[in-house]
Amino acid sequence: MTARANRLRWLVSGESAFPWLAPLIAMLVVFTIYPLVYNVWLSFHEYAPFKRRVEPVGLDNWSALLSDDRFWDSISVTFTYFSAMLIVQVVLGMAIALLLDSEQRGFGLLRALLTLTLVIPPAITGMMFLLIEDPEFGVLTWILERVGILDGTNPILATGSTALLGVMLADVWQWTPFMVLIFMAGLRSLPSEPYEAAMLDGATSWQTFRRITLPLMGKVIAVAVLIRGIDLFRIFDYMFVMTSGGPGTSTYTLSLYAWQQTFSFIKWGYGATISLVSLILILIIANLFILVSKVRW
Amino acid sequence: MASVEYQGLVKNFGSIEVIRDLSLTVEEGEFVVLLGASGCGKTTLLRMTAGLEEISGGDLFIGGKRMNEVHPRDRNIAMVFQNYALYPTMKVFENIAFSLQISKVRASEVRRRVEEAAAILNLSEYLDRYPRELSGGQRQRVAMGRAMVRNAQVFLFDEPLSNLDAKLRAHMRVEIRQLHGRLGTTTIYVTHDQIEAMTMADKIVLMREGQIEQVGTPDDLFDSPRTRFAADFIGSPSMNFLEGSIEESDGHAYFRSPGLRLSVPDKMAENNSVTAGLRPTDLVIEDSGPLVGDVILSEKTGADVNLHVRTESGPIIVTVSKEMSVLAGDNIRLTINPEKLHLFDNPNGVSLRSN
Repeated sequence: MTARANRLRWLVSGESAFPWLAPLIAMLVVFTIYPLVYNVWLSFHEYAPFKRRVEPVGLDNWSALLSDDRFWDSISVTFTYFSAMLIVQVVLGMAIALLLDSEQRGFGLLRALLTLTLVIPPAITGMMFLLIEDPEFGVLTWILERVGILDGTNPILATGSTALLGVMLADVWQWTPFMVLIFMAGLRSLPSEPYEAAMLDGATSWQTFRRITLPLMGKVIAVAVLIRGIDLFRIFDYMFVMTSGGPGTSTYTLSLYAWQQTFSFIKWGYGATISLVSLILILIIANLFILVSKVRW
Repeated sequence: MASVEYQGLVKNFGSIEVIRDLSLTVEEGEFVVLLGASGCGKTTLLRMTAGLEEISGGDLFIGGKRMNEVHPRDRNIAMVFQNYALYPTMKVFENIAFSLQISKVRASEVRRRVEEAAAILNLSEYLDRYPRELSGGQRQRVAMGRAMVRNAQVFLFDEPLSNLDAKLRAHMRVEIRQLHGRLGTTTIYVTHDQIEAMTMADKIVLMREGQIEQVGTPDDLFDSPRTRFAADFIGSPSMNFLEGSIEESDGHAYFRSPGLRLSVPDKMAENNSVTAGLRPTDLVIEDSGPLVGDVILSEKTGADVNLHVRTESGPIIVTVSKEMSVLAGDNIRLTINPEKLHLFDNPNGVSLRSN
């Protein structure tokens, strides 16, 4: 047997991990690593429409960011959305999980129903809420006008001060159940003995939650926050469907801005630069969070 | 401190009755051990006392007050669990201090009481550790510390020593007894280990299938078991049982079994089916003894030797001092003081002797 045949045999035998990893590595290279590298390269270039080619522009794209007000607006919108949604969904998710964490009749069905929102594509959810918040026939508009919060002159999604709230509603509806499911799984895996001990120690429900449940759930909460946080930071679909970023820049997120620069204005290099900023920011935030949360992963 | 009283207590899990019409009084300051095989309902009884299990029927009184529907946190009871049930995310100090902190005791007072308990339990240097960084014995002591710092009316222990090794168990038995001596708190202690029960209890409650088999001091249960079950459960090695009958001749009662005739001290009616119980320690090797057998195995336990003897009436175990130098294969004769002979009616197993 030749040495070459030997080597081949080694490759396909179970002793080498490479054949098993190869498809994954190929996918990673094609769909993640190459686009990332290309994106970095692109951020130092720009498409010249009249010459129909990409030309190097040095640091122009990066320095342009500094004086681009719309870019800074989109950063502020993204951060507002990101932090508000994380807080609301963690708090609401935990509250609902605690309520549903019970063996009462019907709760099993309720838990199953919760998963339904997760299978709907976000763009469809966006369409649903566009209708719900429609100024003419939206049910939410109708209710809010009835109770006197709206007076018919400021449509929810077309008013600067309420448009982002209108979009957030869709996000809360769709993604709070995700938090509920994760938290409920966490709650169910907790040991029962500390709770019995706490009961005998005289703890009230709130004291038990504060001193025992929350610390025990730390890891679960951290994982949920991380997954959801990364997702929230690149939010795109709801704004794209519901407001296109408007009115003004009130719902313009980083992802939406990068998309607009790339595909509407054909500024490929600038779009790439914005999306790179988004990537860098989320990496920093995620790692800071892991550091601060002190969770041992 | 408070007394605990059960009146006709019942507990059902679905259609299964695990506690049946149980009545018992634990006096103020008493150390009572609930003893029984696993599944006899002793832990359920303890958890009902704590309020962790609902009471299906009957009444529970603590300190004279009916407690059936009172929430566990309002019963002022401290409990030490089998697997300790420490708070995993709190350090030892917080674990012990928790009950005080949530009841808004002043921080300086909390510190004083926790440190005092830690000193008694040899935990002072571990206050800054998490439970996962402690050994089993240390965790056990933290669980006790948690009970100690509270001025609870009643202490409940649920097989607290079963996860410890033999040596530590013996040590902790003494510590728990000393703790009781110091605090004098009414204590109910659950165990399946008859040695724990014998060494620690003021009063043993022997349970069987959800009912009380016998209540008494350790000596009562050892010397005067009221049933064959009680006789069999207490003592190690277990009591020897020989099947036979009671016969009367010339105004005297005798226990008769193949190759054996033992006189019975009490007046007793003839009975053709009884079981005689002989404790291994009550049998004495004597050349004129009525019970003859061959030693088939000799087990050394240190100071004593357990001889496994085959007799015409059945196999028995005899505990003798190791100085006796009896070997396997020897033929021996045994005698027993008639006063130490236990007799049980068949098949109900009730003692025939009115001790």
